[in-house]
Parts: sequence; C-alpha cells; structure tokens
Amino acid sequence: MKMIIHDLGQEEFTVLEPPSTGDTIVISDHGKIRPCIGCFGCWIKTPGVCIIKDDYQSMGELLSKCDEIIIISRCVYGSYSPFIRNVLDRSISYLLPYFVQKNDETHHQNRYNNYFKLTVHFYGEDITKAEEKTAQALVKANGINFYSEEECVCFHQSLESIKGVWQ
Amino acid sequence: MKIAMINGSPKAGKSNTAFLLNSLEALISSGNELTHYHIIKNPPSEEAFSQLCQMDALVLAFPLYIDAIPSHLFRLLVELEEHMKGHKNEIYVYAITNNGFYEGRQNHIAFEILKNWCQRSGLRFGQGLGHGAGEMLASNDKIPLGHGPLKNLGKGMNLLADNINSKSSGELMLVNPNFPRFAWQFAGTHFFWNAEAKKNGLKKRDILRRL
Repeated sequence: MKMIIHDLGQEEFTVLEPPSTGDTIVISDHGKIRPCIGCFGCWIKTPGVCIIKDDYQSMGELLSKCDEIIIISRCVYGSYSPFIRNVLDRSISYLLPYFVQKNDETHHQNRYNNYFKLTVHFYGEDITKAEEKTAQALVKANGINFYSEEECVCFHQSLESIKGVWQ
Repeated sequence: MKIAMINGSPKAGKSNTAFLLNSLEALISSGNELTHYHIIKNPPSEEAFSQLCQMDALVLAFPLYIDAIPSHLFRLLVELEEHMKGHKNEIYVYAITNNGFYEGRQNHIAFEILKNWCQRSGLRFGQGLGHGAGEMLASNDKIPLGHGPLKNLGKGMNLLADNINSKSSGELMLVNPNFPRFAWQFAGTHFFWNAEAKKNGLKKRDILRRL
C-alpha cells in the first residue's frame, strides 16, 4: 500500500495526475483537522489510535499498512506546511511510548514491524538554501523516528514539476 | 523593554512549557514589561497580533513535536509573519524547547526552522535553549533550577536571561538533564508509561497492541 499526504486543493492535486489505483491512500486537507493535544492517549488510553475523533484518528494504523509514503508540501521555513505538520503530529500512535537508543540517541520503539520508503516533495517559488538544508535535516530526522528504510527529498519551484513523479 | 512570553504548549493548564516559562520569568521580570500569551487557551486576536509587532522581544516556549514545531504554534508563526510585514522596530526572538527524549540536541532542527522564520519575518533570532527529558520537568517542580537534574538547565536559563535582559544574541544551547540516561529511561518506562496506562486499566500487552 502507498500513502500520499498532501496540502493541495482538490483541483491542484488532480492536475498532478496521481495514481487512482485501490492500493493508494490519500490524506488531504478538508480544513477540519484538529491539533494534537499532547495527552498521550494514543499510547496509554487507546493504544494505536488517537483519541480525537476526526478523519485523522487512525493515522498510525494506516501508516502500518504502507510500504511507501509520499508527502507533497509547501516548504515553510524549511518545514512542512502547518497541515502536513498537523498530520504528522497526529501520527505518533504508529510508534510505542517506550524508548530505544539508535546511534546514541533516544527514540521511540516501533509498534509495527514495518519499514516504508519516505519521499518528500517540497514546493515553493523562493525556497532559500538555508530552508532546503533545514528541510533535508528534518526529513532525515523524521525518517529515523518513523523507521523509514530510506528517505528521498526533492524541491520544486512549481507544482508542474511534481507531475510525473509517481512512476 | 516589552517582552511577549508566548506559551506554545497544547495544554491549557500545568505543562513542562509553563514550568520553563515561569522559571525564565523569575529571571527577566525586573525592569521589563512582560505580557503573557497562551495560544491554545486564548488564540491571539487581531489586537494581540498588533501588540506582538510592537514588542522588543518575543520569547517562544514549546514542546518538540516530531523533530519540529507543533502545528498549532506553527500556524500562528505563519500568521504572525504576515502581521510582521512593515513593522519598524527591531524585535529579538528567543526560544525554549523541551523534547520527550533525553538529548537536548534533538531540538536543533526546530531552532533552524525558527531562524528561517525570523529571516522571512524581518526578526532577529537572539538565542535558543533546548532541553531533553521534557516529561521529567513537571515532576521536578519542587527542585530549584540549577540544582540536581536541573543543573544544566539552570545554567542555560541564566545565560538566556542575561541575553534577553541586554537584548543581545548568544549561541544555541542544547542541554541534557543531570541524570543518567539509563535511569531516566527506566523511570520513564515503569513510573510514567506503565503507571499511567495502569490508571486507565491497561496492561503492558495492551500498550503493545497492533491494529
């Protein structure tokens, strides 16, 4: 299974001609996502599921079914846009609360025995070199925390250049 | 000097972020005019945004979320960039972050994002203080800053306060608690995660469940 998480409007996304096969989950912005409230409920109340009842409640479980995650995001200060950040904040149920050391750093243990490829397409007309550097470091760090088997980061000056990345 | 104390915690009540801001406040309240903002409790109004543009310094405090800035605060920063366009005074930005892991260095990307935000918004990044073992802070609120496990944090907080009081910049500070990592991890597992889950009637096998 493949997952596409994007911050585009429906029309903009359709123009990119994304795959329409049944094995692709698309996570998009309906303007109704709620922020993580830092309650840890997805670890200690309803393990594996966020306690906030909206369309993004089961992100952890959905991620566990995927072997590839593709993120399309405006590059905002070297980060993902607020919506993509919000989706990731709501995805920690994919992990366990318990800790493990990787490369002498503490991280959360993996809940699932799943390792996906993480590809991020950042877009924006005037992304600075500093923002590119920050974004690369961010995706690499996210890859470690979410147990991705590899990460790939691309920068695009326009949405047009994202077309055709699905092959 | 007019200073905005911006609490970026998702929690309206007691939080590690509030603990950090209160600790800093004790060191910078003399001779400065402090205004408090809690973005979850009271989302900023147009008037609040205007006030923020008239400050001499902004102090942002927040927990690290997935290596970066939590989305509720990040949305505010994007909005604030728009309001900052055309402001005339020089505004310094200082930040304190805490992460749930042990190592303070894991906060470094959040500070890079903040520096990029400052660049876009015409603000001057003053200094950042990143601390590890966030969940230990609230449980240590009877231990004075600068002592025991909070020794490094206390030193960093003093340096940050000096720079805020003199409206100057300083090097990024990323500090660990003065507590062995293995002991912190053991305590976290047994006295926090397992104990909190038990209060909800869950056993360890429930915490580990796969869906």
